[in-house]
Amino acid sequence: MSKHHSLGSTGVNRRALLSGTAALLASPFVLSSARAEAAPVNVGVIMPLSGPNAQFGINSRNGIELVADEINTAGGIAELGGAKINLVVADATSTPTTAGTVAQRLITQQDMTAVLGAFVSSLTIAISEVTERRDIPLLTMSFADQITGRGYKNIFQVVAKASVIGKAQFEYTAAIAQAAGAKIEKIAIMYEDTAYGTAQANGLRAGAKAANVEVVMDDAYPLGITDTTPLINKLRGSGAQAVFPVSYLNDSLLIIRTMRQQKLTIPAIGGAAGYVIPDFEKGLGEFAENVLSIDTSNYDLAPQLTERFRKRFGYFMVHEALEHAVCLEVLVQAIRKAKSAKAEDVAAALRGAKFTGGWINGMTGGAVQFDQTGLNVLSVPLMVQWRAKDIVTVWPKDIAKSAPVWRS
Amino acid sequence: MKRWLALAAVIVAVALLPLLLDPRGYWIRVFTFTLLFAAMAQAWNIVGGLANQTSLGHAAFFGIGAYTSTVLLLKFGISPWLGMLAGGALGGLAALVIAIPTMRLQGHYFALATLAFGEVMRVIANVWTSLTGGPGGLSVPFVPPSLAAYSFKLLRPHAYIALAALVVVTAIFEIIRRGAMGYRLRAIKQNPAAAEVIGVDTTRVKLQAAVISGALIAMLGTLYAQVAVFFDPDTVFGIASISIRIALIAIIGGVGTAAGPILGAFFIIPLEEVMNDLLSSRAAGLSQLVFGVILISVILWRPRGFITVFDSLRARLSRSGAS
Repeated sequence: MSKHHSLGSTGVNRRALLSGTAALLASPFVLSSARAEAAPVNVGVIMPLSGPNAQFGINSRNGIELVADEINTAGGIAELGGAKINLVVADATSTPTTAGTVAQRLITQQDMTAVLGAFVSSLTIAISEVTERRDIPLLTMSFADQITGRGYKNIFQVVAKASVIGKAQFEYTAAIAQAAGAKIEKIAIMYEDTAYGTAQANGLRAGAKAANVEVVMDDAYPLGITDTTPLINKLRGSGAQAVFPVSYLNDSLLIIRTMRQQKLTIPAIGGAAGYVIPDFEKGLGEFAENVLSIDTSNYDLAPQLTERFRKRFGYFMVHEALEHAVCLEVLVQAIRKAKSAKAEDVAAALRGAKFTGGWINGMTGGAVQFDQTGLNVLSVPLMVQWRAKDIVTVWPKDIAKSAPVWRS
Repeated sequence: MKRWLALAAVIVAVALLPLLLDPRGYWIRVFTFTLLFAAMAQAWNIVGGLANQTSLGHAAFFGIGAYTSTVLLLKFGISPWLGMLAGGALGGLAALVIAIPTMRLQGHYFALATLAFGEVMRVIANVWTSLTGGPGGLSVPFVPPSLAAYSFKLLRPHAYIALAALVVVTAIFEIIRRGAMGYRLRAIKQNPAAAEVIGVDTTRVKLQAAVISGALIAMLGTLYAQVAVFFDPDTVFGIASISIRIALIAIIGGVGTAAGPILGAFFIIPLEEVMNDLLSSRAAGLSQLVFGVILISVILWRPRGFITVFDSLRARLSRSGAS
């Protein structure tokens, strides 16, 4: 009895199921015929959305989403019949191998025009091993020198390399001190032992050596350090006139807080990353005031653009958001130029050409141009300084918005 | 007889799977890593399962293998196959050096000592930049594809090599488990003092197990490096990414059995991927949270591993067959 009943209901279900399946099968054709000329342009966004660097990944994603939404609301990419940008966001986690697997997944599941990512250098390198073999362009704002140092054809780095940034971190500081009538003879370097930290420390060392300045402390520490007191004690004993810490967020907070609590007031010049996001000031309050940091771009260079970010997300447009916005801007310009969303056409359009306008106005150099290794040759580092809840560009002089404060 | 047939059927089915997957695609990469992690957990199982010494430092030997073959390839152009043998020898040696002082430790103390050793290796790899490339990591160079050079354009050969590795490691595990060494290890696990009394040279057996396990996992490190193509000290010497993960795979599947690590790997690795695929674009960190909740539920449901599902199934089948 009950068996009969269940059979009957299966019959109904089957009919419903069949028609449903038919509709499902037909739907792609209906959809594709409706916008036959405007298939969306798929752009992979692989960022660390969990783990210790999640904040940077989220900032980056926000910057990319802002640009994509603006382009889509304005009617998409006209050259491709108004094609919309379809962002495919995925978590790179904090393991390079997983980041590589995620890249493989995105590329396999959809036709990708390009991939953007992944802030952390080691993740970017792992992703590039996949995108290079599949001839998909990868646009990044990661710093490490190896990114464009391996002779790969499909990688594009929109900012200067870590060694260049590290050298500028030292040289700008020396110039700022000199302008204030001080002379630096002894410095301290402390950095986390990641690809980014070590590469930038190399640049700092090179800069100090060229200027005949003594490095009295040169210490690496592991990412995720929980007590920086020994480091600060060593710093106090070293007699350094300025300290150059290079780190992501948590350790940057620990280092500056421990220094200031111990009334160690020598200037601290951070190495971007943790030193130039709102959380730095949130975590340190008045201790953040006048902390300097090297950076690769800053929102006050193009306020009319970056205010749109602040309006939508409620905090200033951090450099990773701005530079990822630039990555997408450059990519879209290349797509417009190639009149194609095919990965190899876009990669060809990216090489050699000079890109200007739009979000690129937020970059130093005012334009983006990649050399044959994929490095943007026009990007120049700049120095920023904390003033209340904002960071202000203070060096080089020709683009500075305010004069640097130097208290030795 | 029936069991052997079933086993052969499973191996054939698994061997056919790579042919069905897109050779440049995503699932074959996941499948390859699943096989590799199954083999790694099986190698761990020799000390972790048979002798019940829960090592949380196997990443040390694994990383030694990955670095040895890759450095030999980068600096001297030596084929990773030879590099794998060299890595295996070094991994076995490192396991011996580490086993001598830690062997007397038991339970948590043993786990902590091995954990520290893995961390020491990570720090060394970070600092010894001239050899290891430091925190910047190493990229395996792409050489013209050939089996001798262990270089392929597609992932399919990698999948078969990983499968072969899993079969070999599992066979070694079974031979040990069924042989005299297996009995000795289990005697030590039950009661070390009693084992000594009946004439088991406990020191010697533990050292043998540690060296075999360390050498095998170091050789798997080479395979991992060749598939992943890029790795840094955190990747191959990582506590969470390697040491704890392989122990977890064996524990979830069923410690001390040959099928346990395989079941564990085929559960954990694809689950992580599916979670990341479905959830990571929605809310940051949600995928790991759900993954953790599923793991906890599984542990609560089957504290002795997935393998017990089959035991209770078999028990139920034989009961219904009898009635």
